[in-house]
Amino acid sequence: MNPKTAGKIDGIIKKHSEGHGRLLGMLEEIQRENPHNYLPADSLEYVARKTSIPYAKIYGVVTFYSFFNLIPQGEHCISICRGTACHTKGSKKILDFLRKNYEFEGEDTNDAKLFLTTKDRKLTLRSVACFGQCALAPVVEIDGDIYGNMKVETLKKIIEKF
Amino acid sequence: MNKQVRIKINNSDYLMYDDITVLMACRNAGIKIPTLCYLEGVSQRASCGLCVVEVKGAKSLMRACVTNIREGIEIFTNTKRVRQARKTNLELLLANHPRNCLQCNKNMKCELQSMADELDVRECNYPNIRKRKVPVDNTSHSLFRDHEKCILCARCVEVCSQVQTVDAIEIAGRGMDAHVTTFFDRGLGNSECVNCGQCLLVCPTGALMAKSEVDSVWSEIDNPEKFVIIQTAPAIRAAIGEEFGFPPGTGTTGKLVAALKKMSFDRVFDTQFSADLTIIEEGNELIERIKTGGTLPMITSCSPGWIRFAEKFYPGVLDHISSCKSPQQMFGSVAKTYYARKLKIDPRKISVISVMPCTAKKFEARRPEMTSAFEYWKKELNLKDKDSFPDVDYVLTTREMADMIREAGIDFVNLSGERFDSPLGMSTGAATIFGATGGVMEAALRTAYFELTGSRLPKLELEEVRGLKGIKEASLDIKGKRINVAVSHGLKNARQLLRQIKEGKSPYHFIEIMTCPGGCIGGGGQPIPAGYEILKKRIGALYQEDQEMQIRQSHENPAVMELYENFLEKPLGKMSHKLLHTNYTGKGIYI
Ligand code: SF4
Ligand code: SF4
Ligand code: SF4
Ligand code: FES
Repeated sequence: MNPKTAGKIDGIIKKHSEGHGRLLGMLEEIQRENPHNYLPADSLEYVARKTSIPYAKIYGVVTFYSFFNLIPQGEHCISICRGTACHTKGSKKILDFLRKNYEFEGEDTNDAKLFLTTKDRKLTLRSVACFGQCALAPVVEIDGDIYGNMKVETLKKIIEKF
Repeated sequence: MNKQVRIKINNSDYLMYDDITVLMACRNAGIKIPTLCYLEGVSQRASCGLCVVEVKGAKSLMRACVTNIREGIEIFTNTKRVRQARKTNLELLLANHPRNCLQCNKNMKCELQSMADELDVRECNYPNIRKRKVPVDNTSHSLFRDHEKCILCARCVEVCSQVQTVDAIEIAGRGMDAHVTTFFDRGLGNSECVNCGQCLLVCPTGALMAKSEVDSVWSEIDNPEKFVIIQTAPAIRAAIGEEFGFPPGTGTTGKLVAALKKMSFDRVFDTQFSADLTIIEEGNELIERIKTGGTLPMITSCSPGWIRFAEKFYPGVLDHISSCKSPQQMFGSVAKTYYARKLKIDPRKISVISVMPCTAKKFEARRPEMTSAFEYWKKELNLKDKDSFPDVDYVLTTREMADMIREAGIDFVNLSGERFDSPLGMSTGAATIFGATGGVMEAALRTAYFELTGSRLPKLELEEVRGLKGIKEASLDIKGKRINVAVSHGLKNARQLLRQIKEGKSPYHFIEIMTCPGGCIGGGGQPIPAGYEILKKRIGALYQEDQEMQIRQSHENPAVMELYENFLEKPLGKMSHKLLHTNYTGKGIYI
């Protein structure tokens, strides 16, 4: 790890030197400071070494809370609903379009639990069980905004404008 | 101050101190509450839900393992609701569990299985929700984890953390992704795990197991080219009887030897021989360190889990650790040099098998530097590096040995006792007690006292270092010089002694550190279960055997004396250094 990152983490550790949710606070901030919004293994190793909190404990915490990312996140995040309604209305098509046209990294085995990011770290693709907006199927969330009745063409245009 | 309270269990009145759980209170009253995740004094995660009871006035059922008693509490342990809930909770665990008990290593020894029987669970109507298959962890030389059989009780996690303070594992992920694992799923072999196996001793299922070397050992026996030597550690004789139905604490040395002879090992030898050898080398090392102002306190080196712990967590204390190899490794190098020469056998044809109470010994035997016999023969036999062979070929746990004895169809219970072969089967009472916490210390002091004064310790038994107290201390006057010693078992206790050393405040000259609670008799390779009462009994068997031995001091072992005369020359000599000593490297964790 480069000395600059180490220095930054040192500062964060110091800030969260005591109290109950100490580890959580620390980790959240380290993730926020990371340019790709995630917790790389070497940063977590560094935290373990510096704080004497066991490595496995830290891993337990970062895998328990879904807001921690262990793989780099893209600049933009697209979440596709894989609920039944969206599926019938073609969410799979959207998914396959993205898969085909962008170069994603990550374990791509389970449509229901996707979490992929492009090699150039521009896009992150996730699948979601249901947004609860089935009337608008297929539903896609882009950087926090919900879009209903999504079509491949519309999505393509949105991405091009990023 | 604890006060006594009146409580009711199943309508009967009891008077009990209020600092206990409902579970304890029921046990005190002789009522059995089923538990799977609870581990007395260690784990209280309350995850299994089998211990539920009804408490009058409470809406929901209470988990007995984490509910405290109070004045007037009325507990019901056997209502329809309780029985139903227990069944349901167990069925939910079984839903995610394979049903191939027949092929499982834990078959008929499994807590989960017997719990299903006890609670009369005959069917399971819940679907398996564990979708993601986590691959088995095969990275360690000592342990093997099969996530599919894991019920996430976290006993292993708590033992690793509370008893050993290694903290190699934790539950990662949540819901159907939850699994017990190491940092970034790197596997036990790539983690801070010290291979002690304490976790597998408490695992209620077949999820955690020692890596079996049984098949390899059968092949060695069946190979007519091989001269197969077996050595058995002191702690085996005090425990293997349990595998065959003897009560804990039954010494079965003679039967064990007889069984091994029946299995056609070419020689049945005793690790106690090399334990005596260790004492001579280590005793002399201590004396030399004291005389020449070497690094003190000196710490024992026979427990490979402790060595790993030091290399990972305390690289700064490595200078304090005796350079002596463990008895297992000393045996291997002596067998493949001295004894090979004596029998005029090519060392490459000799296979050394150990029976150890320990899973860490499997790892130790594979350390790359444990090839002293190869180095010894290299020139003479014109060997290349690729011809390298280990000093110890395979390591079996007590449980694996018992499995083999059963498989061979040997009626262990009715065997009449036999004696170890000579010469590497010769040993003293000092070596026998190696298997108990404090034993190495006691044995070493018997010999060090003699070396320094020329006379026998007035009382050979050093009571202060016996027993199951976490840290034991003693102080001895040897020729006007005070020698202070300390003994710890369980790595949590070791940390206290190590902290003193780090702070430069250690008052001791000599420290014995054993990885496992109780010493080797409580090792991760021993029969299961291994609670404190059982450990005490195994220890008792060792001290009794020591008491009954004719020779009880290592320096009086005639076979060891002969080894020095004809081969090693003198303790700490050139040959000793080549064959019996080693060095350590501070590896840290993930650095
Ligand atoms: S762990 Fe127990 S219940 Fe599970 S398969 Fe093995 S023996 Fe059967
Ligand atoms: S073998 Fe020992 S150190 Fe390794 S995980 Fe088990 S308890 Fe922890
Ligand atoms: S491996 Fe065994 S002890 Fe550990 S959580 Fe799973 S079932 Fe429990
Ligand atoms: S024993 Fe109480 S919840 Fe498992």
